[in-house]
Amino acid sequence: MAVRRQTLVLLVLLAPVTLFLGVFFLLPLVIIALFSLLAPGLYGGVEWTFYHWNYGRIFGWADGLIEIYEPIYLQILGRSLGFAAMTVVLCLILCYPVAFWVSRLPSRWRLFFIFLITLPFFSSLIVRLYAWLLILKPSGLLNSVLMGMDLISQPLEILYTPAAVVLGMVYVMVPFMFLPLYSAVDNLDRALIEASMDLGATRVQTFLKVILPQTLPGILGGSVIVFIPSVGNFIVPDVLGGAKGLMIGNLVEQQFLSARNWPFGSALSMVVMTLVLVVLLTSMAAARRKGSQNA
Amino acid sequence: MRNPLGWAALTLFSLVFFLFIYAPLLVIIGYSFNSNPVNMMQWEHFTFDWYRGLLGLGERAADPNNRAVYVESTEKMLAALRTSLMVAGLSTTISTVIGTATAIALARYRFRAKGFYNGFLMLPMMMPDIVLGIGLLIFFVTVGIHLSMLTIIIGHCTFLSSYVFIIVQARIAGLDPALEEASADLGASEWVTLRKVLLPQLAPGILGGALLAFVISMDDLVITYFVAGTDNTTLPVFIFGMVRRGVKPEINAIATLMILTSVLIAALGLWLRSRKAD
Repeated sequence: MAVRRQTLVLLVLLAPVTLFLGVFFLLPLVIIALFSLLAPGLYGGVEWTFYHWNYGRIFGWADGLIEIYEPIYLQILGRSLGFAAMTVVLCLILCYPVAFWVSRLPSRWRLFFIFLITLPFFSSLIVRLYAWLLILKPSGLLNSVLMGMDLISQPLEILYTPAAVVLGMVYVMVPFMFLPLYSAVDNLDRALIEASMDLGATRVQTFLKVILPQTLPGILGGSVIVFIPSVGNFIVPDVLGGAKGLMIGNLVEQQFLSARNWPFGSALSMVVMTLVLVVLLTSMAAARRKGSQNA
Repeated sequence: MRNPLGWAALTLFSLVFFLFIYAPLLVIIGYSFNSNPVNMMQWEHFTFDWYRGLLGLGERAADPNNRAVYVESTEKMLAALRTSLMVAGLSTTISTVIGTATAIALARYRFRAKGFYNGFLMLPMMMPDIVLGIGLLIFFVTVGIHLSMLTIIIGHCTFLSSYVFIIVQARIAGLDPALEEASADLGASEWVTLRKVLLPQLAPGILGGALLAFVISMDDLVITYFVAGTDNTTLPVFIFGMVRRGVKPEINAIATLMILTSVLIAALGLWLRSRKAD
């Protein structure tokens, strides 16, 4: 009796999440997978026939009579991966020293600066990107200042370039890198660092052999959290990037809202989803291996 | 630190880093008071006109030639704000219930699919927004659900539930199960123990989760962009549209108000957390 009662409570507690995510999360993902294998209809919509040319169009086995293989899709995919990787590396370079600095501050100041880092997370993404639009425009703040100081004679063209996209992504992703890094740096065993220095290791050796391995889980965690939303991002390249800053997310968006080729858009998002899952599973496996090594 | 020069360099680097984070926000706030309507980067003089324009007041709005533009965009913006608040309120409520129930189930019961649920709930947060957004769009259109405020709320709940779940789960992990065992030993039923013993202890965690969900919902752009349809717009989607169409000085005023609101909310969250610690 008691056992049955318990099962009932458990069922009531789990039913909402199971139903909701089953219908509104899993099912949509299954439908994307399905649509990616259907033919595009003439006026938007789909034809319910098996059709592998969507993927052929991306990866190169398309028959020219049906769909045309364009290497541009793979290029854009490669560019998205490159931008995301650059974003990760730049966030790391920016956050690692700052995490160290903050962890060495007196506790009042430490809390204050952590608050300052998390604050942008609470303010609107589009507002933060818009600020960079104001700064990077040809007639924007950066060019006005540089020209006012006579450092340049003509406005720099930064807006609508790949550099602007990476800058924008670094700007919006930086808090996500900082927090895991900070908790790793804050948990560092200072005695080990002192011991390493006392035993005659140089700063570089101490960093590479003692500090880096200890903070590796934080580096890995932060990198994954930054990489994943960066790869599929379409807002940042839409606001700050031009044609050369186009990413796979923009391509997906175009298929749904202007080209109205839903099956091709679905195939593209399957590629994004697969990439993300590969990165997630690899990093989880790496974290587990690291964990079992330490144990 | 053994090396004062190194420490100074590190301090300098860090301060520049914080400047990098905050300078863009300060630029917007500064220029929201600039009266130059043509080139907003060229400082003319101090004005509240853009704020007045937002509220449909002021000389610019009263000017018959200008009126149409200002009043129209003001009304649309206020409608978008209303939609945002309603969507955030409702989706926060729903996802708080779902997330809390799930966290309790996973923390307090033993069952075989536990590992699966723990991993499964991470997925909506890790899935790129765009994949979730178009997935929901195709789903709603295929099933024949009209895109409306309801579809926005459903879209938000799919990922907000996971955020609430994580926050509440962290809170449960810090609780002493002995209290609930005592309640059960003293003859309280499963439900009574849940309601009278567990939930009150969880309240700060639930509140924290709800606050986070509300903030994320208010800021969501991508999912909303795909599932909003043509009749409904939230504030982020509205601003995205304005930014895309070309920059108007009122955006600075809206953006400033949004930045200040978020500072207030974050400070409120911090205050709640420090009170909890007392």
